[in-house]
Amino acid sequence: MSGGVDSSVAAALLHEAGHELVGVTLHLWDASGDQQVGRCCAPEDRDDARRTCDHLGIPHYVLDEREAFRRDVVEPFLDAYRGGETPIPCVECNRTVKLDHLVELAPRFGCDAVATGHYARIEPGEGGARLLRGHDRGKDQSYFLFGLRPETLAKMVFPLGALTKEQARAEGRRLGVPNADKGESQELCFVPDGDVAGFVARERGPGRPGAMVDESGESLGEHGGIEAFTIGQRKGLGLGGGGPTRYVLRIVPDQDQVVVGPADALQGSELCAERVRWIGPPPSEPFAGEVRIRYRHEPAAGQVEVTDGGFRVRFSQPQRAITPGQAAVIYRGDEVLGGGFIKS
Amino acid sequence: MPYLDHHAATPLSAAAAAAMADARGAAWANPSSVHGPGRRSRALLENARQRVAEALGASSADIVFTSGGTEACDLAIGGGPRPTRVITWALAHPAVHGPVDQWAALGVPVERLAGTAPLPADLEGALVVVPWVDHETGAILDRPLAEAARAAGARVVVDANQALGRLPIDVDALGVDALAIASHKVGGPAGAGALWLRRDGALEPRLSGGGQERGRRGGSPGVLPLVGFGAACAALPDRLEAMAQVGAWRDRLQAAAVALGGVVNGAEGPRVASCLNVSFRGWRAEHLVPALDLEGLAVSAGAACSSGTTEPSPGVASLYPEEPWRAQSAVRLSLGPEGLDGMAIDEAIAILERVVPRARP
Repeated sequence: MSGGVDSSVAAALLHEAGHELVGVTLHLWDASGDQQVGRCCAPEDRDDARRTCDHLGIPHYVLDEREAFRRDVVEPFLDAYRGGETPIPCVECNRTVKLDHLVELAPRFGCDAVATGHYARIEPGEGGARLLRGHDRGKDQSYFLFGLRPETLAKMVFPLGALTKEQARAEGRRLGVPNADKGESQELCFVPDGDVAGFVARERGPGRPGAMVDESGESLGEHGGIEAFTIGQRKGLGLGGGGPTRYVLRIVPDQDQVVVGPADALQGSELCAERVRWIGPPPSEPFAGEVRIRYRHEPAAGQVEVTDGGFRVRFSQPQRAITPGQAAVIYRGDEVLGGGFIKS
Repeated sequence: MPYLDHHAATPLSAAAAAAMADARGAAWANPSSVHGPGRRSRALLENARQRVAEALGASSADIVFTSGGTEACDLAIGGGPRPTRVITWALAHPAVHGPVDQWAALGVPVERLAGTAPLPADLEGALVVVPWVDHETGAILDRPLAEAARAAGARVVVDANQALGRLPIDVDALGVDALAIASHKVGGPAGAGALWLRRDGALEPRLSGGGQERGRRGGSPGVLPLVGFGAACAALPDRLEAMAQVGAWRDRLQAAAVALGGVVNGAEGPRVASCLNVSFRGWRAEHLVPALDLEGLAVSAGAACSSGTTEPSPGVASLYPEEPWRAQSAVRLSLGPEGLDGMAIDEAIAILERVVPRARP
């Protein structure tokens, strides 16, 4: 329980349904100084979770996972940014630090299952549990959950999977959840101000300046470090006004180069993914699926082929800004088949 | 629902509860007020002071009331004259480390001795802070305490928060300079504590406004909890007598814990009868404490910080630096005569036997 609306309402719904519950909040990160107030993992969020549990009359515990979070989530995140990628730390966080860990812990607490406030659905299938998109298309979080092991998935419950965010809030108000009107949490809980480049600099030292070049390699200017850029970015390139609109096309970490160019050069028809996980058995034949290449992306049709190190996707239509480090998640309709991290 | 966390806070003793019930109609008034209600509150306060002093073999004039053990430690350590160096033990309570850190920040050299290590030589001008009883394992630091008391030129502060009600205390015989105690470790309510000070000991107040407690601690004292503290102190002879029974319960718990594969911490030397600190391999303490709680057994681990997150036990880590798992896994079962009986111990053992094997590798 993060102290946010979703996990609180999930708990309240399960409580109303008569389940015996134990509330757990993972203490993952200590935001520094002035960034602490009103952010995820702040002490008041733990207080909010506790307040919800008190309201429901269930026990609540805070477990310290700061060490695992730094090791398994934050350090790889920093490595990836320094390597020119745009990582998506929530996938690993959900998998290792949060859900695998809690599912392992559940029997020690005398619990049969682990519930969260994720907007995703689980249904029993022939070969084991199936992971499906949440009904609220705007909130659907299945993208972040592709990495769950099948045995973890089998022990999970997502009470909000069939609700919209507004319905969840309404349920929260109906059930008297104390924080039903609390605001949305940040996309990256440990970078609450959204300044990733600043965060990387604080953790790893200042970025290395390098050249901003066009597709032919001609220098257009300087930049202060590749961490400040992601594929498809238009704002903050520091190229001045006047010229044609340019976008980040590529980041070349070993030369500290940021390559920019016109919008149409952002289109790509193919991607390779590594560190792949399949929810069922890995497919042996190429197959048609729909692939989502970032959280705010509607799955796009393509041909998926399992390769040595992962899988390759050939999209039917070119996709904008295929970004190394982000997850490529393969769907068939609502069902998540698996996914991996974009390499190229 | 066996409660085995008496080193965190004891259930309120019947004596303390009755004394506070009797006093609540009068203890609200400000004891510094001149009028009748103030005088009646003052009488309750001074009666409590007398009872606390008697429990220590001290004179009531040498007792400074505080809000608790942390404040008493803070006043004794931080309110004394600037020392040439500070020596304490790593296993001391955070209430000791906090004000010691403040001396360090002012440029005073600080040594934190490992385990129950003996004192270094030449303590002229030094401040020695002795945690008499390790709050986590119950280990008694009698020898360091005696050495410190004998050392020439050292100012010796004793954190006796876990010694009160577990060991007999006679401040004259100890030969130290200051001694900190708290109410909620001996059947009194939280929110009350005291510092005993040697008559000639110089002390600057840490709360300077108001001049209460003879200028040593500003602020209106919490008369009602202090009345409870006084009553708990008056009952200490009975509590000390009950320690034999408490020790027998502890030994039964220990035998059961060892049979479950537990490794006992801090039991190499003398130990108070009220404490069992044990590590179960395969369990992180922060998981075992909730797991036991869910079955109805209240114990604690390491030090509970304000967020409710549990840190690995620093005291156990300092005792066994070669075996870090013991600190990660250490849970403390602490007992007292308040609210316990043989059946509660039976029940606690049954819960341990039910929960601990869930992690068997």
